[in-house]
Amino acid sequence: METDVLIIGAGPAGLAAAFEAGSRGLDVVMIDESSRLGGQLSQQTQMVSMLPSQYPPMKGFELAKLLINQLHDFPVKILLNHPFIGLYQDGSIGVSDGKNVFPISAKKVIVTTGAAERAIPFLKWTMPGVMTIGAAQTLVNRDFVVPGKKAVIFGSSDFALDVAIQLKQVGVEIEGIIEESTKLTAQNMDKINLIKQASIPIYLNSFIKEVGGNGQVEEVYVQQDQEVKTFHADLVCVDGGRKPITEVFYQLDCSFSYQEKLGGWIPQYNERLQSSQEGVYLGGNAAGISFHGSILLTGIIAGISVCEDLGVLEADEANSLRDSLFKEIKIIESKQDDHLWLERMTHIENFLHPKLKNQFIS
Amino acid sequence: MNTSYETIIIGGGVIGNSIAYHLSERYREGVLVIDKKYPLSGTSGSTQAWVWVHNKTPSSYAEFSMYSAELYPYLSRKIGDVEYKRTGGLSPFFNEKDRDKAKRLAESYREIGIKIKVLSREEVIEKEPSINPNVAGATFSKIDGNVNPFRLADMYMRAAKKNGIEYSYYNEVIDIQKKNDQFIVFSKNGEYTCKNVILAGGTWSRELGKMVGVHIPVNQVRGQILVTEPLKPFINYTISGMRQANNGEVLIGYSMEEAGFNRSTTLDVMQETANMAMYYIPDLGKAKVVRAFSGIRAVPEDGLPIIGKVPSVENLYVATMHSGITLSPLVGTLMTELLVDGDTSLSIAPYSIERFK
Ligand SMILES: Cc1cc2nc3c(=O)[nH]c(=O)nc-3n(C[C@H](O)[C@H](O)[C@H](O)COP(=O)(O)OP(=O)(O)OC[C@H]3O[C@@H](n4cnc5c(N)ncnc54)[C@H](O)[C@@H]3O)c2cc1C
Repeated sequence: METDVLIIGAGPAGLAAAFEAGSRGLDVVMIDESSRLGGQLSQQTQMVSMLPSQYPPMKGFELAKLLINQLHDFPVKILLNHPFIGLYQDGSIGVSDGKNVFPISAKKVIVTTGAAERAIPFLKWTMPGVMTIGAAQTLVNRDFVVPGKKAVIFGSSDFALDVAIQLKQVGVEIEGIIEESTKLTAQNMDKINLIKQASIPIYLNSFIKEVGGNGQVEEVYVQQDQEVKTFHADLVCVDGGRKPITEVFYQLDCSFSYQEKLGGWIPQYNERLQSSQEGVYLGGNAAGISFHGSILLTGIIAGISVCEDLGVLEADEANSLRDSLFKEIKIIESKQDDHLWLERMTHIENFLHPKLKNQFIS
Repeated sequence: MNTSYETIIIGGGVIGNSIAYHLSERYREGVLVIDKKYPLSGTSGSTQAWVWVHNKTPSSYAEFSMYSAELYPYLSRKIGDVEYKRTGGLSPFFNEKDRDKAKRLAESYREIGIKIKVLSREEVIEKEPSINPNVAGATFSKIDGNVNPFRLADMYMRAAKKNGIEYSYYNEVIDIQKKNDQFIVFSKNGEYTCKNVILAGGTWSRELGKMVGVHIPVNQVRGQILVTEPLKPFINYTISGMRQANNGEVLIGYSMEEAGFNRSTTLDVMQETANMAMYYIPDLGKAKVVRAFSGIRAVPEDGLPIIGKVPSVENLYVATMHSGITLSPLVGTLMTELLVDGDTSLSIAPYSIERFK
């Protein structure tokens, strides 16, 4: 299979990039390992704000629909249930259809593989009933399955609070939110107030020591100061934050550097969202964990750079588009968390000074 | 930290570690192992790890390999369980025409005391029921088997450390100079002096040799290996290109590529490898491959090991080879004899670096 642009990962960043390339007449192939478009966004029933200026605030799955629908009229070929598997010697991308592996040869590749949740280990953390907070949300919103009757939530980010409320709405009792530090890590006051109104107990300076039960979680042991409290619960939702999914970049031999706030080891890129590998671009959470707005904006920038490099967009126009898109990223990120924006700038400045490169040369 | 040693071993793969361990049985002080990364970062951490004797040529090399394989049970008793299994080795052939060649191989081995059986089709299928029924026959040898390379390197190292050997990791050697009777080894983290230097740098031996003005003709040959999900035990023998590990994973690899020091994997080779494996064992078509990795073989120009003294530089030694997993117990033993006693109980003359002159 041959194409101008191959996009790996059909979440919001990939969809946004596909629109940029497709709407300017480039042939696009977009692959995703899952069975539907939209990535994590499709199951998010919470409102997403801080979007780029052209979008009003809306719910996550509504935004996903909008991004999918805007591709309709353009030459974008979508291959679902098609994971990236590796590389052929000539550089073409190997994709599996579940039975066979075949090459896709693309002039440019945009990698928008998103992020995965981090788990937090504690004693018996692999026991059924322990899951990440995102997994609990997926069960409720995508699969319509209630994951438990009584839940303990470990971690207190905005996202954890969102899911706590959603779980409560479907009838799960929230026994407590356990937070290791001295205050909630969530920034959004509205969400914190919702938790308070719902009388969900919050335990600060505490952590899960161990879970117990016969084949599945029945009890949760929480350490607070010198004391160990026992909670009766069958569900533990762990909020360990997220990290970029970087396997594809390793395979493509991209260089990396480390940025704590952006999620750890991330591929290097310049202000064109172009990686250290010729012809490979990136966007979304794969380019650093951030807010919905930046996820879209980085995807758009990657799309624009590809359009420029394939000659369907003038350099001047591409530059000015990128400038204004970066200004929007700055507004979104520095408003929420100034360090995030500063780290992103540092990351881009470090483009020529990778911490990890040529990982296959021994 | 100490900077003066009797002996410095450069390279902490199975070869460097086996030498370190065997030396530590004889003298306990003054040995340092230096590695630019960690002990399994080289070829020893990316290998099939057969302990393989049969169908090595010339037959004297097979004999050398056999002596090493014979040491394995004894080695496990000394350093601990390395998951050595003497499964027996099966090299199937699919064309009746190959039977004569197999018979000739068996004949030439008989003279040196290695027993190889040439099996009929029925005998192969009886031994290995999951093999492709189109098989024509196989050569079979009882001495072949495999080992867990990670445990092997680790156990050598633990035993060596217990006996007082010192280690320095993440410390690349960048130059070696000889002054009077001493070597000065320049590394990223400092300078060391010593009487003896042993080059055990595997596939990087050519580069190490250059530092002391010695030509060590070792080339890089890449091999890619597929690893399946853990499967219930169903492959009884170590078969050409594959083995089933203790945890049920099947390791499969056939490729030999020139790719310098590039350790990436390619789908071209992975697909070829998978097809080959399915030809040998059709049921593998149902297995899932969960990972693949590449290793760089250190292959001396004539294919045979390079072991022993470097005559042109006094107190300089070299030990590098392909099939170092098979050979490590013997190489460690002989190198120790050479250093401590000045001579070896088994001739290593055929493997001297002199032959490349
Ligand atoms: C695909 C594949 C399959 C194989 N299958 C088998 C098999 O079935 N049976 C078998 O017996 N063998 C097999 N081999 C070969 C076997 O793995 C090797 O012969 C063996 O591992 C070599 O060990 P070594 O200690 O010599 O080298 P290595 O393990 O490579 O160790 C050399 C060490 O030297 C260090 N070094 C190099 N330069 C420097 C420097 N300048 N300063 C400091 N340190 C340095 C390196 O970091 C490295 O750790 C296979 C190899 C491959 C690639």
